[in-house]
Amino acid sequence: MANRFWVSSGALATMIVAILLTPAFVAAQAKSAAAAKAPAANNKTWTLPHTPDGQPDLQGYWTSLSFTPMERPAKYGNREFLTDEEAAQIYKEGVQHSYEFTFNDFGDTPVYDATVYALSAWQEGVAPNRRTSLVVDPPDGTIPPLTPEAAKVREAFRKTGPNQDYADPNAPVKADTSTDLNLGERCLSFGGPPILPGAYNSDFHIIQSPGNVLIEYEWGNEPRIIPLDGSPHLASNIHAWHGDSRGHWEGNTLVVETTNFRPGATFQGANAKTLKIKEYFTRVDQNTIEYKFTIDDPSTWTKPWSAIVPLSQIKGPIFEYACTENNNDAVNILAGARAADKAAAEKAKKTSGVPVSQK
Amino acid sequence: MKATAVFVFLFACTPIVVQAQTAVQQRAARTAPAASAIPTPGQFPPYKVPHMADGKPDLNGIWQAFVAADIDVQDHDAQAGPHPEIMGAYGAWPGGQGIVEGGEIPYKPEALEKKKANAEKRMVVNITSDPHRHDTGDPELKCYRPGVPRANYLPFPFQITQSRDNIIIVYEFGHVLRTIYMKENDPEAPKEAPADSWLGWSRGHFEGDTLVVDSTGFVPYTWFDRAGDYHSDALHVIERYTPASPYHIMYEATIDDPKVFTRPWKVSFPLYRRMEKNIQLVDFNCEEFVEKLLYGPYFKDPSK
Repeated sequence: MANRFWVSSGALATMIVAILLTPAFVAAQAKSAAAAKAPAANNKTWTLPHTPDGQPDLQGYWTSLSFTPMERPAKYGNREFLTDEEAAQIYKEGVQHSYEFTFNDFGDTPVYDATVYALSAWQEGVAPNRRTSLVVDPPDGTIPPLTPEAAKVREAFRKTGPNQDYADPNAPVKADTSTDLNLGERCLSFGGPPILPGAYNSDFHIIQSPGNVLIEYEWGNEPRIIPLDGSPHLASNIHAWHGDSRGHWEGNTLVVETTNFRPGATFQGANAKTLKIKEYFTRVDQNTIEYKFTIDDPSTWTKPWSAIVPLSQIKGPIFEYACTENNNDAVNILAGARAADKAAAEKAKKTSGVPVSQK
Repeated sequence: MKATAVFVFLFACTPIVVQAQTAVQQRAARTAPAASAIPTPGQFPPYKVPHMADGKPDLNGIWQAFVAADIDVQDHDAQAGPHPEIMGAYGAWPGGQGIVEGGEIPYKPEALEKKKANAEKRMVVNITSDPHRHDTGDPELKCYRPGVPRANYLPFPFQITQSRDNIIIVYEFGHVLRTIYMKENDPEAPKEAPADSWLGWSRGHFEGDTLVVDSTGFVPYTWFDRAGDYHSDALHVIERYTPASPYHIMYEATIDDPKVFTRPWKVSFPLYRRMEKNIQLVDFNCEEFVEKLLYGPYFKDPSK
């Protein structure tokens, strides 16, 4: 099915200019331009707000969507920041690409156009990011190598695990039971940690009480409750789908340490027994939280590594996301596989010469 | 002699009469149990709930109901659960005194038939990729969102996190998250439910020290209990959370649904603060326990 929003390149350029000049976009750009200053700089006209009990205020609705790649393209070497011109260009390209992008981007047969549903990142308030990559440590902006044992585990999972990457659209879908589907298709878990750019609606609601920070992820309305009271982590034989978090303030930065991950549901298949994730939340201006995470799992990566994902403020509210209650994915993928099984079985019977009436 | 006998009798009786009067006087004078006395169920000494820095009553904490209402909100006996030949006492359901004020839910006569049909088919699970998946089967069984007020009387704790503009309740059951919008005239939280949902659209405010929550915009698929008590999309719930001691919130919910009931009706029961040191919610991601129940008919080998 052709993308009905595909236009010739000349018309596209005109459309882009028209889009970029619409009041909403211009307003977003103005907001974005303020946020595009060097991430650590404090805008002198802005005062960090505080909650009534004195915590730096991280509250509100935020998106983690981004045009910035996870790993740094080799051409930038160890350069952490783009020039203003480069940043604007990448942002423009991101907007343009959104008209071509679909969620299962199979060449010329797109599934559907994200912009129709106002789901593209720039429509959700993502600001230009001056970083060359999300990964900031190691200094070359790439994720460290896997340990040999982790590489083996990942290769085995690629062969037998759920077809999460949709790498080959022509490969038969293995869906014998629900465990052949990925965690999202089973409505089991969304939202990290760490917080990463998602496909769409990668939105969060943060609220703070005197003793806790609560992060609600839109997908599944998944909660992460982060106690600030210095209580010990859960015992090591209790596991959590989002791990078990404890937070404290260091100046204006919320530092969160998470352990007790659940085997089989870890970030990039890391080892639940040894994985520790540290997160740092700093509100750098009215519209931006600088969010940094450090992944530490010596049995999976040869050294810890860190990334910075800007969280951009968006308008609320977040609606209910009743996943299990409406899980058509699980039903349709499994039912489709059964229909394919049946078709294959009937074809085999025909070619084997068994009369149809004897089936 | 007779006069003396009468006098002695009267004299002998006097101490008992005096003692009896004193006890009655004591009970009459006691409007609430003294701090050192064993508490009387239903009575609390006067209590002023601490306020947060923004001046609002502080409801933060982990709370839990200890009634058997999830099984049946009305009075009911204990009963064998499903498959008693395997489950024995593990699967049996406790009896309980009802939480419905006045005792009985005021169904319209024609609406009572659906309650009975629900109960008969509470374990008939037939999942399709359309709303017919809701025709039968208790949503709790399927690990669906339990709705309001059932979420508050499930046998699981829940955590109230209260900020200036929002109260979020996270229920241990299925990590269900419910948002109560507290800000007046909040442009990010319209007064009317912008979309229907399982937990409804909740606006809250304080009346004195009572949190009042007004919820509408419900889908018609949740039940009030395993006995098949149900509602329509006209459901309107008003809840009142009143801290009664450092360890108790007295909870009540008024249920108003003119499509199903002849009048509004109320449930009420205490919520207890979980007092274990280092208490926190532990994952009960029941989605993983219902996969075979929900999708088994679509498995390649339904026996696996």
